[in-house]
Amino acid sequence: MLELKGYRGADKTSGIRKHVVVLSLNSFCNTATELISQMVRGTLPLVHPHGRNEVGIYRERLERSLEGVVLNPNVCAVLVVGYEPKTTMDFVQAVKKVTKKPVESVLVLEGGTWNAARIGADKALEMVITASELCRGPIELKDLIFGVKCGGSDATSGVASNGAVGEAVDRIIEAGGTAIFSETTEILGAEHILARRAVNEEVAKKIYKAVQDNEKMAMDAGIDLLGVNPVPDNIRGGISTIEEKSLGAILKAGSSRIEGVLSYGERPPHPGLYFMDSPSAATEVLTGLSAAGAQIILFSTGTGNPVGNPITPVLKITSNPRTVARVKEHIDVDVSEILTASMSLRDGGDLILQSIISVINGRLTKAEIVGHMEFAPIPVGL
Amino acid sequence: MNTPSPVLKKWLWLHTQDNVAMALCDFSKGDSVEIDSHEIVLKDPIEYGHKFAVKDIHEGEPIIKYSETIGIAGKEIQAGEHVHVHNVQSLRARRTLTDARTQGV
Repeated sequence: MLELKGYRGADKTSGIRKHVVVLSLNSFCNTATELISQMVRGTLPLVHPHGRNEVGIYRERLERSLEGVVLNPNVCAVLVVGYEPKTTMDFVQAVKKVTKKPVESVLVLEGGTWNAARIGADKALEMVITASELCRGPIELKDLIFGVKCGGSDATSGVASNGAVGEAVDRIIEAGGTAIFSETTEILGAEHILARRAVNEEVAKKIYKAVQDNEKMAMDAGIDLLGVNPVPDNIRGGISTIEEKSLGAILKAGSSRIEGVLSYGERPPHPGLYFMDSPSAATEVLTGLSAAGAQIILFSTGTGNPVGNPITPVLKITSNPRTVARVKEHIDVDVSEILTASMSLRDGGDLILQSIISVINGRLTKAEIVGHMEFAPIPVGL
Repeated sequence: MNTPSPVLKKWLWLHTQDNVAMALCDFSKGDSVEIDSHEIVLKDPIEYGHKFAVKDIHEGEPIIKYSETIGIAGKEIQAGEHVHVHNVQSLRARRTLTDARTQGV
């Protein structure tokens, strides 16, 4: 790999962006959050409709997602906009136990939305000045986590772009990096292939268990997966069943050994390839991969899904030449010559790696430029 | 598993065990393709990315792509016919078909 440059953080992590985030803890704080970001250029507002009364797995996923925002190495400082003291201090104290980066807070219920915005803007101003002085320095591949996702799949994804992404992932893992792929519904029908690659019997069992639970959820809901997954645009693109989609989808994870099964937003314990047990909707998966610490996400698409993430750059790869022509502002890497000319999957992997290095070193992705910053901290679907 | 190899053709037949191939152009009904030394006349228009049968597939038989089962034929399918949601059934997350699931898993 070529020289990589990023931002060494307070936690000895390596970021490839230096976001100053204004994070809303619940929906009542969204307006103050947006006001602060309008007052202070260079801040990134994160708002969402949650934060009150969630229980069980939904509470857990929300906490993972919001803590993940703070802990992600691409974030250098965070202003938390909370509603009342108890939940806000609980959150701030919890994250301060695991990070040394600047985390401050303001409260909407103490003085109102405008007062919180005024106080918050003063704090955010200082954070932006500090962040503006950070410079890129050498970072190492072993400190990077790569999210891997496919979305808006069509029949080209499963025969070309996913395979090319898989080639890139194999070389990242060989070089000592970490990668996480996800979407439990989209290994359904291909779990036997992944289980054979598990590091041990326990991990193989976890892969089967994740799929069994997912399939049971679909059957308990009394639904036919057709139309839910594959979705109508997959079907229009030529994918007929979830098995067909899954067998193509798993190619994006390459051929390396699978070290473990993570829950939504869980951080991998050591380098290597991981599967994250999660619903499949793109925005929610990207939020979960970012929460797990991913600094960059490789996203293979057939029909040209535009989705991005506010914190983690999302690199879009397609092998459908019609998609490249139709939605060019959604696509970063065109590997359609795998199907139209003589490009091999390995060549496609090389092209993706070149783009990855550029994006790590500071080049913006199309999703960053177009402004796709979708954030959904609680996945609820299949 | 074998990764699909690139083929500079108007269609992609990934594995010799596969009983379907994928169009890499928009075919019209009546177009013919040669696969495995057999001429197949397409009985339906086949859009880019969609599948056609490369041999006759009986109702209930597996549809094979990537040399793996991607579902079963919901009706009789002749070589050259469009193979898609109208004549393929998934074997997964289907309460009624749970028992019919392949045992290779």
